[in-house]
Amino acid sequence: MAMDIGADGQSHKAHRSRHSGSSAKKKTKARNKEQNSDQKQQNPKAFAFRSNAKAKRLQSRAIEKEQRRLHLPVIDRSYGELPPFVVVVQGPPQVGKSLLIKSLVKHYTKHNLPEVRGPITIVSGKQRRLQFVECPNDINGMIDAAKFADLALLLIDGSYGFEMETFEFLNILQVHGFPKVMGVLTHLDKFKDVKKLKKTKQRLKHRFWTEIYDGAKLFYLSGLIHGKYPKREVHNLARFISVMKFPPLSWRTSHPYILVDRLEDVTPPERLQMNSKCDRNVALYGYLRGCNLKKGTKVHIAGVGDFSLAGVTGLSDPCPLPSAAKKKGLRDKEKLFYAPMSGLGDLLYDKDAVYININDHFVQYSKVDEMEGTTNKGNKQDVGEALVKSLQTIKNPIDEKLEKSKISFFSQNPNSSLEAEDHNRGSDEAPKLIRDIEPLKQYQSNGEEDESDFDLDGSESSDQDESVSEGAMLKNEGRNFQEGNADVSERLGRVKEQVEFHNGRKRRKAIFGDGVDHSNLKSTDEENEGDEDDDDDDDDDDNDEGEDDRSNEDNESCSGSEFSDGDEEDLKSQDAMGNISKWRASLVERASKKQNTNLMQLVYGKSASISNTSANEVKDNGENEESDEDEFFKPKGQRAKNSIEGLNGGNINTEDCSKCTKFSELKNWKEEEVYESIRDRFVTGDWSKGALRNQMSEAKTEEDDMDGDFEDLETGEKYESHQKDDSSNGGIQKEDDDAIEERRLKKLALRAKFDSHYDGSESPEEETDIQNGGKFHRSQANDSGYYDKLKEEIELQKQINIAELEDLDETTRLEIEGLRTGMYLRLEVQDVPFEMIEYFDPCHPILVGGIGLGEENIGYMQTRLKRHRWHKKVLKTRDPIIVSIGWRRYQTTPVYAIEDQNGRHRMLKYTPEHMHCLAMFWGPLAPPKTGVLAVQNLSNNQAAFRIIATAYVLEFNHAARIVKKIKLVGYPCKIFKKTALIKDMFTSDLEVARFEGAAIRTVSGIRGQVKKAAKEEIGNQPKKKGGHAREGIARCTFEDRILMSDIVFLRAWTQVEVPQFYNPLTTSLQPRQKTWQGMKTVTELRREHNLPIPVNKDSLYKPIERKPRKFNPLVIPKALQADLPFESKPKSIPHQKRPLLEDRRAVVMEPHERKVHALVQHLQLIRNDKMKKRKHKEEQKWKEVEAQRARDEQVLRKRRREERQERYREQDKLKKKIRRHVEA
Amino acid sequence: MGKITYKRLKGSQNMRQRLLLATLKSTPVLIEDIHAGDTLPGLRPHEISLLRLFEKLTDDCLIEINETGTKLKYKPGIIVGGSHLVHDCGFSRAIGYFLEPLILLGLFARKTLVIILKGITNDSKDPSVDTFRSTTFPLLRHFGVPSEGLKLEIKSRGVSPHGGGEVHLTIPTVQHLTATMWTDEGMVKRIRGEAFTTRVSIQLGNEMIYAARGIFNRLLPDVYIASDYRKRLEAGNSPGYGISLVAETTSGCCISADTTVSYPRGDEEEDIEDEGKKELIPAADVGEKLASVLLEEIEKGGVVDSTHQGLLFLLCALCPKDVSKVRVGKLSPYGIETLREIRDFLDVQFVIKPDPSTGTVILKCWGSGMKNLSRKTT
Repeated sequence: MAMDIGADGQSHKAHRSRHSGSSAKKKTKARNKEQNSDQKQQNPKAFAFRSNAKAKRLQSRAIEKEQRRLHLPVIDRSYGELPPFVVVVQGPPQVGKSLLIKSLVKHYTKHNLPEVRGPITIVSGKQRRLQFVECPNDINGMIDAAKFADLALLLIDGSYGFEMETFEFLNILQVHGFPKVMGVLTHLDKFKDVKKLKKTKQRLKHRFWTEIYDGAKLFYLSGLIHGKYPKREVHNLARFISVMKFPPLSWRTSHPYILVDRLEDVTPPERLQMNSKCDRNVALYGYLRGCNLKKGTKVHIAGVGDFSLAGVTGLSDPCPLPSAAKKKGLRDKEKLFYAPMSGLGDLLYDKDAVYININDHFVQYSKVDEMEGTTNKGNKQDVGEALVKSLQTIKNPIDEKLEKSKISFFSQNPNSSLEAEDHNRGSDEAPKLIRDIEPLKQYQSNGEEDESDFDLDGSESSDQDESVSEGAMLKNEGRNFQEGNADVSERLGRVKEQVEFHNGRKRRKAIFGDGVDHSNLKSTDEENEGDEDDDDDDDDDDNDEGEDDRSNEDNESCSGSEFSDGDEEDLKSQDAMGNISKWRASLVERASKKQNTNLMQLVYGKSASISNTSANEVKDNGENEESDEDEFFKPKGQRAKNSIEGLNGGNINTEDCSKCTKFSELKNWKEEEVYESIRDRFVTGDWSKGALRNQMSEAKTEEDDMDGDFEDLETGEKYESHQKDDSSNGGIQKEDDDAIEERRLKKLALRAKFDSHYDGSESPEEETDIQNGGKFHRSQANDSGYYDKLKEEIELQKQINIAELEDLDETTRLEIEGLRTGMYLRLEVQDVPFEMIEYFDPCHPILVGGIGLGEENIGYMQTRLKRHRWHKKVLKTRDPIIVSIGWRRYQTTPVYAIEDQNGRHRMLKYTPEHMHCLAMFWGPLAPPKTGVLAVQNLSNNQAAFRIIATAYVLEFNHAARIVKKIKLVGYPCKIFKKTALIKDMFTSDLEVARFEGAAIRTVSGIRGQVKKAAKEEIGNQPKKKGGHAREGIARCTFEDRILMSDIVFLRAWTQVEVPQFYNPLTTSLQPRQKTWQGMKTVTELRREHNLPIPVNKDSLYKPIERKPRKFNPLVIPKALQADLPFESKPKSIPHQKRPLLEDRRAVVMEPHERKVHALVQHLQLIRNDKMKKRKHKEEQKWKEVEAQRARDEQVLRKRRREERQERYREQDKLKKKIRRHVEA
Repeated sequence: MGKITYKRLKGSQNMRQRLLLATLKSTPVLIEDIHAGDTLPGLRPHEISLLRLFEKLTDDCLIEINETGTKLKYKPGIIVGGSHLVHDCGFSRAIGYFLEPLILLGLFARKTLVIILKGITNDSKDPSVDTFRSTTFPLLRHFGVPSEGLKLEIKSRGVSPHGGGEVHLTIPTVQHLTATMWTDEGMVKRIRGEAFTTRVSIQLGNEMIYAARGIFNRLLPDVYIASDYRKRLEAGNSPGYGISLVAETTSGCCISADTTVSYPRGDEEEDIEDEGKKELIPAADVGEKLASVLLEEIEKGGVVDSTHQGLLFLLCALCPKDVSKVRVGKLSPYGIETLREIRDFLDVQFVIKPDPSTGTVILKCWGSGMKNLSRKTT
């Protein structure tokens, strides 16, 4: 089990602390000191809790903090060999990214990497592989890189400081799940001053910490030595990488994805010849990561679009882990690395071929050879050329001819085989076009040089399995060339060789016969694995058919089913051949598999339909369905039923009914032997038998399946069921087995949990140790409750899964769980736009992500969005933004909204400044909680921060429910008592009908209600006069009578449409340096076309001018007046022009009176004068006081400042002194 | 991507599973040749009613049916659920027909589903509502559905032909199911049941109970069958009687069987006087037969009865990406059809291994990783 391999990995020597020597002394001293200081503490009670409540509060806070630290444990469903971890090296341009990769590669493999293009896979340890990827410098590349990075190395130019790219990338990482991050400071040799260097480091480190977390690792690379980073530092960095753990990220554990490290164009050359811009077929290679990939899954190629997979094949690992045998370290031989895009890596495995790359400098030509080559060039090349040309011009290649004259031994499904062969042709002939004739000479000489080798293999050229398993697929090509044309074409059926010169490196492709020599090969390869298959197949035809079919399906473009079988076999056990006992074991296994699949076949029919449905759903599915119907093996009961129903039509319209009880064929349960037969199924029966029946667990059934009698034809031995009696006898034993199994699972789970806890710190080899550990842990788990219980459950589930899956054989397992993570896959994708190939740039890695359930559908997504703090402007509703969700990147037009108190989503024109808001947009759906990143500008030369907002998905809908306020304004056209007819509010009577009962209000605050559309004769004068009736006049009632001058409002909410627009970013379909141009924002358009911003005059704010209102005099009716009491009656006395007598008359005083008056006036004058004086005086006084106070204040301030200065000076001095002391 | 690619299917078979799976996986489907060769071509009333039910529960789903009703285009929406829903199931199939897909839809809905279903509660063709209460809900518990929220109240019973029954159903939502290893069938420890009579004498119910007990008593003492006598409004519009039985095992499996006897539908008013002549199966026979059916189900083995196989497989397939393992008796045709539909829609295949010593079948599958995506996050 791979898990175990992982578990009992490296055993480290335990740390032994010093008992003697200087360091031991120092430690004891320190300890003593600590103790002393504890004793000396002045008031030990000072920090103890005084109050009960405080203690409680602190405790609960501590617990809370601990709980917050915990994360919900995630089940990691990747079993077995892990794919290489992706290390993305990111940084602004010219910071030393490539150099770092080169240095690391050099450190790991001792190879010099000329240039970094595409992912580079290396084996970094016995159980660890790494894949280095350089992150491209544009935002699209960064977004994609963040999606597949397991570890991001952020390179920072220390001499320059942080650049925006780093922060942008960090933000992208955070949104897409935040993998591990490590900073690397470079260019530190630019600092001449050590102090300054130290300070800069400190500063950068702290800035880095605020961005990630306190204590995040920032690595320093000091300068260059011989144009490389210092060996020691690279070594240290490598160690940091090697001990890093990568926690599972939720998006990635639920979606399969592949980082493409090899890309081939497999379009049939005819199509290319006809039209060089035709849609291409592309083969993508890479390790499967994330979760298992099922065959029907659709994929999204980042920057290209969604595709369904035309074919998925698991290939043998091009960069396998060294075998886990006990070894101290890696041998040089095993220091593999694989970087096909960089033109490195020796062997390339394809589904049906193996390419060998030989570096130019490894091929040494002697001068003479070259001379000969030149002399020979003429005729030799002629032969080659002729051959090649003949191959190209031949109308019906021999394989095609052979295809046409097909000999079929078994009733094959003609459709599928033809299709498969079609594929063959396509893939085989694809590289022919690329062939270049010019460097044939080199190739020739090369062939001659290695001839001795080739001869060996060439003799066994038919033995494909072996050669594949050996890896090196070398064929004798020289011979091929010397032979005549006819000869070649004869051999063509079996082995074709094609030479490809691609980017200066040489490839020789060995291609096998096109599934024609089915029978031929069968007869020749006696000891082949595939042959065993056939032997079995002879036993029962049905199975064979299914088998053949499946293999055909599995590798559609593969040549022979044998070969594919062999390939699979090869994956399973490298040396399955030869070893007879193993071989027999596999036979047994096969037989058992047959039995299993029997029932499965009964249910599922042929597995052929699966991949077809995925490939072209609409076209094929219906047919499949039908054909399935024909071919299904019906269970007995059903067959009878169907035959009754007979017709096809009746067949597909059977009634949908889950109950199928037939009252007619019941046993008579009153009879004793009948009911006694199920006695043991009741608690009144035999408990031991019942228990036995129930506990036929997995182990048992597995064995049972083998019970099926079968005969080994080779040896003549008969395997018969021994288990039958076994099961009946040893019931108790079985029970025990079951219990043991259960216990084993639990133990495994515990062990795995323990391992994850003490990762690598302890060697799990000693069984006893682990058991102890496990027990210890369990007791702890009981204490610490729910969290540990969850963890334990997850572990148990994982172990169960592993155990259950391990029961299955390889093919069924593949069908059940799909392709496993860690496998090296070849994905074939059809009808890809040709631009993808044309503008393919290995420096921009391609990400292929699997699409999960329901993610291919389009709808409205509601996200919780916050504008990024560093983005300068707020975002405007309906301005296009580019979002990255899941694997996708697309442009869309969001509508921003905010949730009101009552749950209504109110549209916002702009995003709030510092708040979250809702953003609704249209696009391919992503599951809730997925992170969203928004960018507006993709161009590289934009100086500011490019990320404009981050968000996460809340939910998705098919209908957007965002509303905005709407105010309908109307004016009264006729007023009755409390009723008024309102015009201009609605445009038609229908509209009025829609708003019946709606609340309205006048500006003055009188409330009312819309009643009905007004009858024409009331409000509509024109009708009477023969004009058209005016529509849209509403009769409304108010709580009071309104005025003609009132304005009436109706406040309502109206639905806002979210534009159904989304535009996938096709950045891979254009030159990478070109900036992708999508829909432009309104601002951009205005700027481009030099349009002014339209101004609505009514919306401008103007000073409010209010004319003073003139009220008419109050008129009281005469009748009313008459009733009023005199007091209240209006007295309408006419205004007199002459003043009244009273006003006109003069006052003459008596002499005494005059005197008194004069005296009083005098006194008053005196008093006034006095008061004036006093006031003046007081003012004067006050002014003086004020001035005095101001002066004092000034003095005081001055003194204070001086004091302060003095104090600071003192402090500074003190500090300096202390520092000097410390430094001294 | 803008164009919708429909998954093409033919015929009306497994309409429920197809629609259900299409909705859960949100795959648009196009079904052709629905009862195309029949004298009355096109969708049956219950199928239309089912479509309406789906439309009610989902948001923005698109259903197009051609003129003859032989072609159906279905683009599923998002399962919303919600309360205060009422659905009239019609008289062509019983409520059980609708309940089976409804349960799964409800589990993966956005809001808790509270719905009133009206129609025929008990029928011989579909599992009765009693069975849902007694067997199906406990079955869901094995997949991590909390049993508190599951509720089915029988307000009134109605049998064919005129129905008149009403049930109130509540189904909680789940984030995801949990995989189960459920192979221990245990031994039958008790048998429970309910015999109902609507618009007929209570005596018929007692006869059924008596007859059924007569069969069981030889095997198990712990048998209790309640009688449910309904009258007036609670009894629906048609006379009938029926019985449903559940056998509980020591390991918590429930195996059920039920049947109902009533006048068949299709007879129009003119036949009313004939109804009397038509012989219904006597109550005692019904009890006896059904008891035998239950014993046969028990004999077959497995953790569920043959009626629930389809639901069980669906639940297994909708689990997260873990291995589920269940044991069933002989595969029922419905179960097999369901397996095929699961394969076609969810891309989940089961490993099917017979266990010859007990005559049961063990099925294993790797769940599809279904999650409730429509539930809103807070």
